[in-house]
Amino acid sequence: MRIAVVGSGYVGLVAGACFADIGHEVILVDNDRQKVAALTQGQVPIHEKFLPELLERHRGHRLTFSGDLHAAVEASDAVFIAVGTPSTERGDADLSYVESVARGISGAINRYKVVVEKSTVPVYTSEWIRKIILRNAAAPDSFDVASNPEFMREGTAVSDFFYTDRIVIGADSERCTAMLREIYAPLTDGSYYQRPDAIPRPDRAQIPPPMVVTSTKSAELLKHACNAFLAMKISFINAVASVCELVGADVHQVCLGIGTDSRIGSRFLNPGIGYGGSCFPKDLRAFRAVAREHGYEFRLLDEVMLINEDQRRRFLHKVHSALWTLRGKRLAVLGLAFKGGTDDIRESPAILVTQMLLQEGCQVAAYDPAAKERAREVFGSAVEFADNPYDAARGADCHRWTQSL
Amino acid sequence: MKLSVIGAGYVGLTTAACLAQIGHDVFCSESDVEKLAKLQSGIMPFFEPNLEDVIKGVCNAGRLTFGSTEEAIAWGTVIFICVGTPPLANGDADLSSIENAARTIAKRASGYRLVIEKSTVPVQTGSQLRKYLAANRTNGLKYDVASNPEFLREGSSVEDFLHPERIVVGVDSPSAEEILREIYQPVISQSFTCPIHPNCAKRNEPVFLVTDTGSAELIKHASNSFLAMKISFINMVANLCETVGADVTKVAQGMGLDSRIGPSFLNPGIGFGGFCFPKDVQAFIRIAEKAGCDFALLREVEKINQGRIGHLVEKVRNELWVIRGKKIAVWGLAFKPNTDDVRFAPSIALIESLLSEGAKVSAYDPEAMDKAKAVLPNITYCSDPYKAAEGTEAIVVVTEWDEFRRIAWTRIKSVIERPLIIDGRNMLDAKVVADQGFQYVSVGRPSVIPAEARSAEREGPVLAAQDQTAGAMAD
Ligand SMILES: NC(=O)c1ccc[n+]([C@@H]2O[C@H](COP(=O)([O-])OP(=O)(O)OC[C@H]3O[C@@H](n4cnc5c(N)ncnc54)[C@H](O)[C@@H]3O)[C@@H](O)[C@H]2O)c1
Ligand SMILES: NC(=O)c1ccc[n+]([C@@H]2O[C@H](COP(=O)([O-])OP(=O)(O)OC[C@H]3O[C@@H](n4cnc5c(N)ncnc54)[C@H](O)[C@@H]3O)[C@@H](O)[C@H]2O)c1
Repeated sequence: MRIAVVGSGYVGLVAGACFADIGHEVILVDNDRQKVAALTQGQVPIHEKFLPELLERHRGHRLTFSGDLHAAVEASDAVFIAVGTPSTERGDADLSYVESVARGISGAINRYKVVVEKSTVPVYTSEWIRKIILRNAAAPDSFDVASNPEFMREGTAVSDFFYTDRIVIGADSERCTAMLREIYAPLTDGSYYQRPDAIPRPDRAQIPPPMVVTSTKSAELLKHACNAFLAMKISFINAVASVCELVGADVHQVCLGIGTDSRIGSRFLNPGIGYGGSCFPKDLRAFRAVAREHGYEFRLLDEVMLINEDQRRRFLHKVHSALWTLRGKRLAVLGLAFKGGTDDIRESPAILVTQMLLQEGCQVAAYDPAAKERAREVFGSAVEFADNPYDAARGADCHRWTQSL
Repeated sequence: MKLSVIGAGYVGLTTAACLAQIGHDVFCSESDVEKLAKLQSGIMPFFEPNLEDVIKGVCNAGRLTFGSTEEAIAWGTVIFICVGTPPLANGDADLSSIENAARTIAKRASGYRLVIEKSTVPVQTGSQLRKYLAANRTNGLKYDVASNPEFLREGSSVEDFLHPERIVVGVDSPSAEEILREIYQPVISQSFTCPIHPNCAKRNEPVFLVTDTGSAELIKHASNSFLAMKISFINMVANLCETVGADVTKVAQGMGLDSRIGPSFLNPGIGFGGFCFPKDVQAFIRIAEKAGCDFALLREVEKINQGRIGHLVEKVRNELWVIRGKKIAVWGLAFKPNTDDVRFAPSIALIESLLSEGAKVSAYDPEAMDKAKAVLPNITYCSDPYKAAEGTEAIVVVTEWDEFRRIAWTRIKSVIERPLIIDGRNMLDAKVVADQGFQYVSVGRPSVIPAEARSAEREGPVLAAQDQTAGAMAD
């Protein structure tokens, strides 16, 4: 099938490359001209396992890059919207990028098309997209809007695409459902996994992945509900860790004890300095805002967020109690990305903690195997960047290590 | 090994019977004389699947005896404390039964005893017990105290005990660990004769986790609190689904397939109840509070749960308009299926609320009616679901008993005043009941109008059409 993927960030780029790998003709669109040029020349702008191989495999054949949204949509049967949906000041999702893409699509509907939300968006966004496309004079039966939320995790995004726990399709017409089923057929019918050049299967993966087919609204809600639940799991265990510290119990044993309950599961039960990244914090705020808009105060989520903020304060407190005063002390920070295996530092707890340490007057030497360049954009010369953990630790009074969540 | 169990409630009796089943010689005590008399003459004091058979078997084989706590303490060197730990008004666990048992041990025991807390107790109860025994022992008693929290669920307690996912033991000495390992060896290696199914398929060896006493105590509270939180979370999502017109069943399905989340405990409904969850959540909040940590997350979990009954009553009111004087059937009273336990069951709060608004309630439950009569004397108890539905204007489904899935709906239709079902557990098949002419209201999903009304009515999207038809998982 001919597919346009709009937005060539983490999600768009990975999804586009993977769609090409399961046999589709893909045009990756971005309005960042430099990015398009870099991608065309063969650069890989993000650190992601298997991505360079896939891009190499398909670039120029089944995978092309373009800055021309209009032409890309005209040439395609399905258009995936994968632009960013950051938080606004008020905490709800900023949908202006999605809106501008929807406008762009509306003028290019030359035959039936499915417009698919891949970005994480609040429930009802599909109706807004539909309205915008209609307002710009497309015929009502010339397109459908569907939701196909993405569950990939940075660091293992490519594997996650092929070996996902489930594929969720939210669609409100038979025709549209059928198209989405067809797109994912190489995964759901298992044929992809027979190929000798398939991306290797991780241990835990079940193949073929199950598919959940539901209404667009349910699919939109589902993605927010998942991330909110996972964040809650992290905050829960962080709160339990605090109780453990206070009563003298061992949180790792507690994790083992509750994680072996299959109704709970051991994953995401690692206490630490809290969740971060480009998804959890913003998705939680957005879900909170969605609920409020519909008349619900989802206070449970407020508590999840409060615990998360508190983790950083508690962490700083630990540094304090270990070193007494901080001004002028030299500290090594090992790890800056929001988790291991990625170079993404958006809302990374490591960055926030480093900022707090700088405010306290510490001298910080930092090391991260992948995120150094991105972190340099944030800190400039305020932080010294080392090439390995040993250099960072040299002469330090204390160091910290970001573990992957 | 000679083992003693103090307290013959759901946990104690199951523990005693199963420990005997795997080959130990067990003495089980009970302080309630009536209950003890029943047990001694072979009568079950409560309903629990398979338990009666196991007890008969081991009693006949002479491996289980019932009697007084004094006798139990004289019996063996290992004592499992399984007495109740209900909540006090302030949310703290009432540990007076534990203290009672400890007092008897301190007074009566001599030589060495391994005292094991199986009851759910707040963290540091173990060290309190140690202090208590040290201060009050009389006959040169030597002791270890261990924590061995119980994860069985009423309704499947025998199965849960014999085929657990994990056994947690919190110990402070290697000898205590050794003794516990030896006691549980047949369960750890799954090498006993299974009394439930001779060719038992479920033979996964459990994890045997050894921790310090405090961590083991915390594990139990943290586990139950997490599960309660999972339920409250999905209930909150269900509310949201109702307002935006999404289907919580689908949302839960999509969430549950995420291996980091898992499908169990994602069923929306009228909230958690029973003897364990509400009190364990409360106790955990208090434990944290005393340690100087405000576990507000769990207070929200509680609040959401407390709102569930009102939410269901609101659904009833929405459909019936005025509740005063209306006859309403309630199906299910036990706090969950396969048990007769009604302690802190949502059914009680629900019925009390309906009564206070002037409804007339007729109720049916396959097992829990005797126990419910003590708490709810002013409703009509019926011998089957059909009688309960007679002349009522709504059926409210409260407990997920399997028999409610096999109802002859035409029969109900002929006796009911108004064909309306309010399903607090999302357990019925919407399509089946709608085809039989019922209006079907559930949790977190659009309500469904009966088939005939649907064809009569013009403007149509009464049920989330795609969700129901396109439904189901592919592959
Ligand atoms: N990053 C993740 O791990 C992850 C996982 C699941 C879902 N998501 C969701 O996917 C969406 C995208 O996330 P991301 O991390 O890939 O973001 P990103 O910021 O890395 O990528 C967005 C891309 O869209 C481009 N873009 C913006 N406006 C555009 C326009 N009008 N036309 C064309 N291109 C445009 C940007 O230049 C950028 O390259 C978000 O909604 C996010 O919540 C992200
Ligand atoms: N019911 C469950 O599903 C479950 C599951 C796991 C853990 N637990 C925990 O196990 C403990 C017991 O729960 P339960 O449901 O069995 O309670 P229960 O009230 O059914 O049983 C307790 C029994 O102990 C008896 N008893 C009290 N003091 C005694 C004494 N000094 N000597 C002898 N007998 C005495 C009582 O008469 C009663 O029969 C609680 O702490 C509970 O939280 C219960």
